[in-house]
Amino acid sequence: MNLNLSTVGTLFRTEMRMVLRDRRMIIASIVLPLLITPLMFLGSNWSLKKREQTLRQMTYKYAINGANAAPVRALATTTRERLAGSEKANEKGGGFNFEEVKCDDPLAALSKGEIHLVLEWSNSDGPGTQTEAKPPAVTGKNKPTRPWSETAQGEPQFAGAPVIRLVYRADRDESAAASSRMHQVLGDTRDAQRANLLKIHQFPVSPADVAAVTAVGLASERQVAGVALGRMLTLFLLLFVLTGGAIVATDSLAGEKERGTLETLLTTAVSRVEILAAKHLVVLAVALLVTLIQTANLLLYVSFKLLPVTANLAAAAPPHIVMLLFVIFLPVAALASSVLLLISGHARSYKEAQTYFLPVMLLGLLPALAPVLPGLSLRSAIVLLPVANLALAAKDILAGIFDWPMIILSWLITAGAAVWITRVGARFLSTEKLITAEESDAVDIAGGPALFERRVLRWFALLWAALLLVSNYTGEADVRLQVSINLIGLFFGATLLLLRLYHMDPRVVLALRAPKPAVWLGTLFAVPGGLLAGLGMSRLSDFFLPVSTRITESFSESIFPADISSAQLLFFIAVMPAVFEEITFRGLLLHGLRRRLHPAALALVVGLVFGIFHMALFRFIPTACLGIMLAAVTMLTGSIFPAMLWHGLNNAAGLLAFHLQLPENDLEPTCYLAGVGMLAAAFWIFWRNRTPYPGLRPWRS
Amino acid sequence: MITPVSVQNLAKAFHDEGRGEIRAVDGISFECRPGEIFGLLGANGAGKTTTLRILATILKPTSGTASLMGHDVAKDPEAVRRNLGFSSSTTALYPRLTARETLDFFARINGCPPKDVPARVQRLIERFGIGDYADARVDKLSQGMKQKVSIARTVVHDPPVLIFDEPTVGLDVLNAIEMQKVIAQLRDEGKSIIFSTHIMSEAEKLCDRIAIIHRGKIHACDTLANLRTATGQHYLEDIFVFFVQRAIQSPNPSNAMPAAISEAGTGA
Repeated sequence: MNLNLSTVGTLFRTEMRMVLRDRRMIIASIVLPLLITPLMFLGSNWSLKKREQTLRQMTYKYAINGANAAPVRALATTTRERLAGSEKANEKGGGFNFEEVKCDDPLAALSKGEIHLVLEWSNSDGPGTQTEAKPPAVTGKNKPTRPWSETAQGEPQFAGAPVIRLVYRADRDESAAASSRMHQVLGDTRDAQRANLLKIHQFPVSPADVAAVTAVGLASERQVAGVALGRMLTLFLLLFVLTGGAIVATDSLAGEKERGTLETLLTTAVSRVEILAAKHLVVLAVALLVTLIQTANLLLYVSFKLLPVTANLAAAAPPHIVMLLFVIFLPVAALASSVLLLISGHARSYKEAQTYFLPVMLLGLLPALAPVLPGLSLRSAIVLLPVANLALAAKDILAGIFDWPMIILSWLITAGAAVWITRVGARFLSTEKLITAEESDAVDIAGGPALFERRVLRWFALLWAALLLVSNYTGEADVRLQVSINLIGLFFGATLLLLRLYHMDPRVVLALRAPKPAVWLGTLFAVPGGLLAGLGMSRLSDFFLPVSTRITESFSESIFPADISSAQLLFFIAVMPAVFEEITFRGLLLHGLRRRLHPAALALVVGLVFGIFHMALFRFIPTACLGIMLAAVTMLTGSIFPAMLWHGLNNAAGLLAFHLQLPENDLEPTCYLAGVGMLAAAFWIFWRNRTPYPGLRPWRS
Repeated sequence: MITPVSVQNLAKAFHDEGRGEIRAVDGISFECRPGEIFGLLGANGAGKTTTLRILATILKPTSGTASLMGHDVAKDPEAVRRNLGFSSSTTALYPRLTARETLDFFARINGCPPKDVPARVQRLIERFGIGDYADARVDKLSQGMKQKVSIARTVVHDPPVLIFDEPTVGLDVLNAIEMQKVIAQLRDEGKSIIFSTHIMSEAEKLCDRIAIIHRGKIHACDTLANLRTATGQHYLEDIFVFFVQRAIQSPNPSNAMPAAISEAGTGA
């Protein structure tokens, strides 16, 4: 990849100069947020306070419904007197700010908004009957409350015990506030009465102190604040990056395309990679600048107490943690910038790019919500999901948890995704669609095997999505049905379809060639060697991604059900995967990618794709390792048959180990090392008897 | 000596969902020599822009080869672009840069040594008479002023090959004439220039050799004098019509054109 840093620097400086001269960008990305955010906070703060003040100062009107009004009125009077004598009596809203109104039909008056609240006395048979007690004249708009005695105290309701019911309208602020306040003050009066009664009868303690429950939090204030901050931090920062970078990114490629300046740039001596690298840096720099400004803006409001932040932010994020979070957040911002540029490059005009941004932004923010989900740990499959992994890592760091292997893995995965998207963008910049709307080259037009090689990964992505979809429906089905649908319906079906669609010769594509006889001997060494080495790898991987025994046991039970005969199991678990998975992965996939990748990368990619198709994180590493080895043996022998034999015997051995209950995870380390030795011997045999796979790229270019 | 521009059997096919395969350029061959203006004359949609975009490495050829200063356009596109100045009616300048900044930027990214850039930019500003507005932003300039800056931008790195794709489209007569003068001057300085146009008078005036391109094929390629002799027509407009009509009757150019013209067309 040709990348001259001096050229990238020139491109970056010029592009930044143009960005800073773009009034539209400055206003939309910096000035407006700077002005709008304080106005928004001030406005909402003001309206919130005003509302609270109005509701506090208000005198609520209530009416008493039903024949037995005297006890209700008595309780209200007692409450009024109690509050009149309290310390808060002179504060606004501190007294009994209610006024009784006499009306013939209180519920109708509540409906019309003439009063805020209705109090009812009823000899309840329990909470379930309360709504039935409502008069039929009241429409459905009325919202009956629960009896205050129940909700305020949580005390049990006894059949026949009288209750006072508050009826209010939840759809009206004043009515809801009146109900809440009345609920509170009547409840307090009842508490006081109850305490007084017990005191008279010489109960030794206050009822509130009987069997009191207290909670002791062990987390420090800093940790509590950190978790609160960490839940939303990535979401907010990503939002700032996306909004800040979107305008620059749109202008950067889609805008240039529209103005004709991109064609000018593409005819200069700079490489596509240099152009994209500089543009990416510009989008990233502006996005980070906007994020910084917005964050400073928010912190300013927090310090002026315009934003209600309960947690101690300063304690949660000391300077060294802020620096660490910046490093953590960098790949997230880089990934967001890459995606924005990719969209801009894909769109043919400024307007088209803008239409893509909103859905992409909403979709892009989803992974940043990972820390909000309860119980989600970084030591789970989430570590493989870019952005979500670092969002969780940021939360952990703020909570004082430093799981370095997982944090580094998360960082590498998200940074890798950013690099990959940038490289896709660079390739995109080389395509002709950038200048002309609809063009294709000779391969597109001619079709056939060459076009298949170009589209093979796309087809496998589609196949994976289909497998995911089908697995949702067949997950609980009989293992025989699952295997038949997946292997014959999907894998073999897709293979036949693609062979036909791209006019390919099955013997060539699927490497249906007889290997040298010595290769079979190598395969017999490879099976136990691969199994033992694979088990060793799994134990090593447990360090990073521990798998609970519950998961593995439940998997074994589902894949080796007791009600199927051994012969059938052997057929469905060993023979069928050996044939159909090999045809699909070491046949079709390997053939499709053979010219695009270096042989080492080819084996790796074929293995990783094979691992991904196993749909479970805990199976990924062992299946990917097996896939890599099977790809390697196919490439060395030029035939798919040794891989089929190896795969079949491997699965059969797994089946046998399960039946014999072998302690495969408790073997001595020397066993695993012996496995590696056998594997090396097998590959030595394969190497000595190698028949190169046709069309592979040379090891050394 | 390296031929500045060499095109052999160049073809470019596009795929259209409705119409299937479209061969925008269909096996053309030509050469452009040092100090020559080579004209590509054709109607709209004849394949001129596609050919020039392939030479500028924006598009990839479907088949055939093309090279600039010995560098293959498909294999070594960056080397090709280092030796090339490309200007077309669709290429534009950055509106938020000044004329001086524009020249400075394009000089640097085209590989001029950084210490030489300011002097080179100043020379071009003086040569093209843009000193009065050199520090004004491009979006404030008139069309004629922009055109001058655009040509200065094209030659700022002193490339041996220049491509002008319909450069006078959208210009008024005076600016178009000014443009033609500059192109002729550049030819006199030894640049190899490929000039595409559908304006006959422009081709007549400027081009040392003319290729008549129609539906992706070159149907004639020679000096104006030889084309006149071969067709018996005086005006280029009539010569053009002569070849286009012949192409419609017999689409295969090798059968359609006189042998002498065919040989000249290959640059042999």
